Amino acid sequence: MNPNELGRRPLLALSLITLLLVAPHFVRLDLRISLAFIAVILLRLASLYLPRLHPGRWLLLGITLAGAALIFTLYPLLIGLPAKVALLALMLGLKLMECRRRRDLYVVVFLGYFTLSTHFLFEQGMLLVAYAFVLVIGLSGLLIEASRATSRPGWPLHSLRLAAGLTAQSLPIMLVLFFLFPRIEGPLWNLGVDNSTGKTGLSDSITLGSISQLIRSRAVAFRVDFDQAIPPPRLRYWRGPVLWHTDGRRWSRGRLVETGPVTFRSDADPVGYQVTLEPSPNDWLYALDLPETLPAGATLSADYQISAKNVRNRRYRYAASSRLDYHTGALSERQRRLGLQLPDTVTSRMRALVAGWRAGTDSDRQLVSRALQFFRSEPFYYTLNPPLLETNPVDQFLFDSRRGFCEHYATSFTLLMRLAGIPARVVTGYQGGQRNPLGNYLIVRQSDAHAWSEVWLAGSGWTRIDPTAAVAPERIERSFEFDLDENADPGVPVIFASADSDLLRSVMKQLRLGLDAANASWHRWILGYSRQQQQSLLQLLGFGSLSEFKLALAMVLTTAALLPLLLLLLRRRERIRPDPVQGDYVKFCRRLARRGLVRQPHEGPRDFARRVIRQRPDLQRQVSAIVNLYIALRYGPSDDPQQRRRLHRLVRGFRA
Amino acid sequence: MRWRVPERFIRRCRGDARDGATVGPQQIYIIPTRYGLGFALLLLLIWIGSVNYANNLGFLLTFLLAGLGLVAMLHTWRNLLGLTLRPGRSDPVFKGQQARFEIQVGNPRGGERPGIRLQLAAHEAVAGDLAPRSEQRFTLSTRAERRGRFPIPRCVLSTRYPLGLLHAWCYLELDGEVLVYPAPGPHTPATSQPAYQLSQQGDKGVGADDFVGLRGYRPGDSPRQIAWKVHAREQGLQTKQFGGDRADQLWIDWGHYPGLETEARLSALCRAVLDAAQRQQAFGLRLPELELKPARGDSQRHAALAALALYGEPRP
Repeated sequence: MNPNELGRRPLLALSLITLLLVAPHFVRLDLRISLAFIAVILLRLASLYLPRLHPGRWLLLGITLAGAALIFTLYPLLIGLPAKVALLALMLGLKLMECRRRRDLYVVVFLGYFTLSTHFLFEQGMLLVAYAFVLVIGLSGLLIEASRATSRPGWPLHSLRLAAGLTAQSLPIMLVLFFLFPRIEGPLWNLGVDNSTGKTGLSDSITLGSISQLIRSRAVAFRVDFDQAIPPPRLRYWRGPVLWHTDGRRWSRGRLVETGPVTFRSDADPVGYQVTLEPSPNDWLYALDLPETLPAGATLSADYQISAKNVRNRRYRYAASSRLDYHTGALSERQRRLGLQLPDTVTSRMRALVAGWRAGTDSDRQLVSRALQFFRSEPFYYTLNPPLLETNPVDQFLFDSRRGFCEHYATSFTLLMRLAGIPARVVTGYQGGQRNPLGNYLIVRQSDAHAWSEVWLAGSGWTRIDPTAAVAPERIERSFEFDLDENADPGVPVIFASADSDLLRSVMKQLRLGLDAANASWHRWILGYSRQQQQSLLQLLGFGSLSEFKLALAMVLTTAALLPLLLLLLRRRERIRPDPVQGDYVKFCRRLARRGLVRQPHEGPRDFARRVIRQRPDLQRQVSAIVNLYIALRYGPSDDPQQRRRLHRLVRGFRA
Repeated sequence: MRWRVPERFIRRCRGDARDGATVGPQQIYIIPTRYGLGFALLLLLIWIGSVNYANNLGFLLTFLLAGLGLVAMLHTWRNLLGLTLRPGRSDPVFKGQQARFEIQVGNPRGGERPGIRLQLAAHEAVAGDLAPRSEQRFTLSTRAERRGRFPIPRCVLSTRYPLGLLHAWCYLELDGEVLVYPAPGPHTPATSQPAYQLSQQGDKGVGADDFVGLRGYRPGDSPRQIAWKVHAREQGLQTKQFGGDRADQLWIDWGHYPGLETEARLSALCRAVLDAAQRQQAFGLRLPELELKPARGDSQRHAALAALALYGEPRP
């Protein structure tokens, strides 16, 4: 057989590995494409055993055209990652079909390596990475098997073992390269529409109901490591977009164009922390009220909102610090105007309500308390399934339905404040977060999404008022941990879990927290590792900031240092082991030598033993047992492993 | 080799038949194969994709594969390192035939060394997998283009194991040679001199044809030649002696083929030697500076052919 022709076994292995390679994509691809791919693999497997079934050139061309047609029908213009993945799977399947020679094997294996990299665009879990490692071993094993002159009979376990060894040996190099390779901040070209699907997060406007959709998601929004103690829940307001403009239904950011330094006064100590943000389609960052120092490259707007470039759709880690107690000072004319903007939907009931409060109070601050009192005393309920509000949601909510959650309370409260002549705005973001005792960090989930209100008061500047806290104080003190029941009837009030009474549930919770701690390290060190982290890692190692060039040099040198180490390791492993029997005897002699009984070079074991026994009659039994066994094993005809072990035991237990 | 290294810079691995050669660390060259270049391109692609999508796991995969490439370089190099090579027996051939060089390749290491290839320039490589602590015989063959001593040409020991991404090789110069006899010429009748000549010494009783008498038995005499009838007459053990070694002495002589230039003449002589050897004739060979006494058998044939092969070559 031509050595370049592939036998049945490599092809079988290749087909199976190809199937495994594409398998995680099945959930992302159209079912028809997945089925077509599986059919191609099955055809390949069948044709290995029944060569009659192997499609000829024309049939193969037909299959190619049909596959391409399927892909172009399902994904016209090939927009989106799934389309590209489908195309890749088609290529892989067809290449596998015509795989006959060694060259084809390399093409398929390289395509396979590439396919592995595409999985990470969709999913970044540790399990997937482990899966990818296993497949790298499998693919490399195929290459190893193909580089042999003749293949061994049986399954190529030896090649797989070597592939695993090679992969293990390349891990240190991988880590060095990963941490030291100069990072280029992407993207190199516009990614277009590829990445817009499947990411959740706050948006820069709210209509009633948009947050309640978000709250149903247990997905992690970000994780926070604090430099010192984690602040209490009531102070954990993570500031996101600030909404000024409303048309009665929808709140949006409006046009606040103010430049110049953004300052505030504060007597509180700064709180420093690092946030690892999960990918989101937004270009703003979250910080505790109010942010003071910002990550490099980020800017702070006049309403204390942090925006940054190049943070979209990627895991981003940044450091910031905040002061939790603050005074924002005077109000600009533009902010006053924006903060008092009213929609057309204000009704007379609302005006009358506010007028009543105004009449009964003599300061803005008292009026705010009065309004909160209103939410607290009237039968308002906190629910995630509010009844549908139609034409004039605020009016309907305030006077009729009275069931809603944060965004209802925040928007209606803000509107009422504006009616009372107090500048007010809605702030969206996250509130609270779950502390993970295993990693001592905070997990903030999408279910912690929140909206609150800020009013400008003469004494304290912009002041955070959370009307939700007036209705459901538990929401502020405790994270959501209830089961979010999709089918709950509209308007059913949320019952907050009081304690972890159930043992199983608490165990599950511990387990979840442990898993998340592992996940957090994963996110912090692997997924969130960026140029910034790289610099701080270098500083931690005492190198300070290195330029790109020096970094590259350090990387090359470290890698170059690893290779000789590896060589030493390999040499050690393959060094010819001395005969174990001889080794035991040498050890026995060493032990005697420590007691002054040194074996002379001319002494054979028998003479030496005789001399030892003469000098130390107490050792007679042990020494003669060892020496007799040694002589029998070394010079006798039998080489019994059991006796060898016995000698080893005797020598180990021998004390002179 | 595809890559020409200037002759004076080539590091070679040398060795003779007694000690053999061991591949040293600095004699090994290594470059990526075409698949290795493809692999590099693949890494570049994955890397660009990872930069673009700011995908750290993509980086991780890129660097894992890069590490795999580097580690493979080490293993490919080590796969050759320390191999021992010893030229083996090599039979003489006629000019124009395939000369076969045997090379014993030994793996002294406790690990397997698959995918070892041995190659003479522009010939198909011979490949084999060496088991731990074993030796394997590789046979290289190439056409013998010239009469005389044919030393083992420089050959290339190479491997692509384990991943096939890198090609490591070293140049071998082993002491050893194949003797190349002249190509046998056409059957040309010898012309000018009588080919046969009566032996001056006459019959010595070592022939096989005519009975010339009896002599006393000496240990070692063939039982077939014992005169059993004489023995039956109780006259002791006698051995029959035959003559006839006188008549068929053939001289193959340089001077018999005038008018031919040297190589053609050697070819003609070669043919004559072969014919004589085939007819089991005793023959002698006369060359301008050399004379082989008439004899028969394989060793005479070889001696005569070797003399023809080495005609005009300086003595070693």
